[in-house]
Amino acid sequence: MWISTSRWLPCLYGLVFAVGALAASDTDPDFKSVRTKFVKDYSGTGPSEPATEKYFHESSFHYHYDGRFADEELSEEETLPHLSQLIRTYLSTMADLGAETWIMHGTLLAWWWNQKIFPWDNDIDVQISEPTIHFLDEYYNMTEHHFDIPGVEGGRTYLLEINPNYVFRSIEDKKNVIDARWIDTSSGLFIDITAVRPDDAKRKNGDTGALMCKDKHHFDENDIFPLRNSRFEDFPVKIPFEYVKLLEEEYGPKALTATDFQDHHFNEETLVWDPVSKRKRSLRRGGAVAFPVRTTPLKYKMT
Amino acid sequence: MARYSNINNLDYTDDSSDDGLHSFNDNNNNNNNNAPSYRLTRYTRPLIDYVRNEWKTNPKYASLPTTNTDASSDYPRWVQILGSIITAPRFRRYVVVYTTVLLSCWLGWKFIVLPRLEEHAAILRGLDPQVKEEVGGWFGANALPRFDNMVQLRTLEPSLLPGEVTSESDQHGGRRLIFIGDVHGCKDELERLLEETSFNPDTDHLIFTGDMINKGPDSLGVVDLVRKYSASCVRGNHEDRVLSLRHNMIAANTMNDEFLDDANMHRGQYTRERELARQLSDEQADWLDTCPVVLNVGQIQDMGQVVVAHAGLVPGVDLDKQDPYSVMNMLTVDLDTHVPSSSIKGTKWTKLFNKHQSLLSDSLHETFENPESMLTTVIYGHDSKSSLSLKTYTKGIDTGCFKGGKLTALVIGDGGEQKTVQVRCNNYTKK
Repeated sequence: MWISTSRWLPCLYGLVFAVGALAASDTDPDFKSVRTKFVKDYSGTGPSEPATEKYFHESSFHYHYDGRFADEELSEEETLPHLSQLIRTYLSTMADLGAETWIMHGTLLAWWWNQKIFPWDNDIDVQISEPTIHFLDEYYNMTEHHFDIPGVEGGRTYLLEINPNYVFRSIEDKKNVIDARWIDTSSGLFIDITAVRPDDAKRKNGDTGALMCKDKHHFDENDIFPLRNSRFEDFPVKIPFEYVKLLEEEYGPKALTATDFQDHHFNEETLVWDPVSKRKRSLRRGGAVAFPVRTTPLKYKMT
Repeated sequence: MARYSNINNLDYTDDSSDDGLHSFNDNNNNNNNNAPSYRLTRYTRPLIDYVRNEWKTNPKYASLPTTNTDASSDYPRWVQILGSIITAPRFRRYVVVYTTVLLSCWLGWKFIVLPRLEEHAAILRGLDPQVKEEVGGWFGANALPRFDNMVQLRTLEPSLLPGEVTSESDQHGGRRLIFIGDVHGCKDELERLLEETSFNPDTDHLIFTGDMINKGPDSLGVVDLVRKYSASCVRGNHEDRVLSLRHNMIAANTMNDEFLDDANMHRGQYTRERELARQLSDEQADWLDTCPVVLNVGQIQDMGQVVVAHAGLVPGVDLDKQDPYSVMNMLTVDLDTHVPSSSIKGTKWTKLFNKHQSLLSDSLHETFENPESMLTTVIYGHDSKSSLSLKTYTKGIDTGCFKGGKLTALVIGDGGEQKTVQVRCNNYTKK
């Protein structure tokens, strides 16, 4: 009898202390703020209902600016350099963290053509795997990352923001298909980050390699992995293994061959998309590439 | 009636009662009554003795069977004639024969000749520069992406090439190039094949069309053997997978601990490939990494520029602009855009390539004396379903060794003389 008493006594002490501590605090702390991890459900099933609210909003003036950081679009000449640094800072951050990421959709097509962002497109699409988004959410949600950029006074600060609804793993959550954003706080431009997850429904039906994103794209593990190492905007980048197959499935064969697109013509000599309109000059300029240099230290690494 | 006389004369009764036509037209009573008696005496004499020209004497043959039915007289005469033609056995035979002939002609046209003509027209259209304008461009216009740890193009040391003509005095004389299809770790078969070709390391040079490793029993042994003979190679889709996995595993520091593969969950189902990636020594992997995507062998008599690629090449695109994934995986091409595909459905890339080269040859003949040197012949593997496929400008030599097919060597000697040597393989798909 005395043995069991010695066991439960410390527990009782602990309980008394905990209650005392709660009672002693002046404010009534929010449950979520005390048990930060409890916002998420790690049981594997996730929340049962999709969120009713959209987490990431597009600005009122342009669908690809974050209205919290800008009130107008950048001029055309400014956009491309901003986007280049946006993707470079993102890729460099992920590489430093040891967090796996790769480009997809329109960005992969742009890479296919000349390993540079399309001059007419300010949409950048990247993907990460499920363990990575858990890691980023755990350690880096709402963190600011400052970079020194040659030719940019004061550098720029980027914000990594995770959509808390990423734990809801089904496509039923139509309002929160983007799982995270990497935002240029100087301009409001951002990168859409989507997590690629095992497609449980398809796997149950025997499709053992099925992957899905909340934006309703479906993949096969073997189409993406092992990732290949290439360059995008002169920066190391990872590419899905079967890139030609993925691009052809998504955009059709002509997207890989047609040299006229969106009022631009692909110059096979200079390997640059030139505007068809004579008044416009190519936004691509030669010269040294200005690589961003991180100034904010990274505390936690994935590997 | 004449019937009664026939009863006594058994020779004739036998004949007439067995005649199906008349026994039913006549009154059957007699036949039924007499059946037992004449059957008894039926074979008392040799059959030959019963043969008579009965149709001359017997009145039952007086009228033809087709006209002796009264019912038919109700129809007009032309119907009767038609009816008699149709019921004639010879006519019916001819009808059967002619319909069969016509049907097979039609089927042959529809399923063999027409598709070929259509395919030929489609291939010609696919190579028409005007169509290129219409569709907006052909495959290969982009700035070719580069990958780490992957060599796009290498050129073979020219001193390894065979001589131009068969002669003793030529310094290159007696040299041979031996091109070998997908080995897939079948080391025993490879050794037997080298014996069959009477391989001599001093004068012969081995060139592998990729997929030397994986699937079969002894990938490491094959790599060691191939390195021992300083062979040339190209990167196959299996080398590509295994080496890419290996580089990623080294980067992620999971090389030494296979339990860490659990952390690789949902990153490709490659248990066998990861295992092989771990087994490869650094030297073996580094050597495989030097295998280029495209190997330019150089000029060979009667073959023009000889190029080795694992799966295929897109016609009209420079060797250093051939997309590496496609070179290692293509089976078919889209005729409009020339976009290659690893899917088996569609037009084989070899058809487009051969047509492109023969059109080029025709146009070069008009302006150059020796156009052959400006043409390209591709030696490739990868397509074990088509097995050995030797065409003018494409030579497919993957004959499915590891699944119990054959291992093929294409031997090219002095003067561009070609021959194939094959050995049978064990089936390693069953374990």
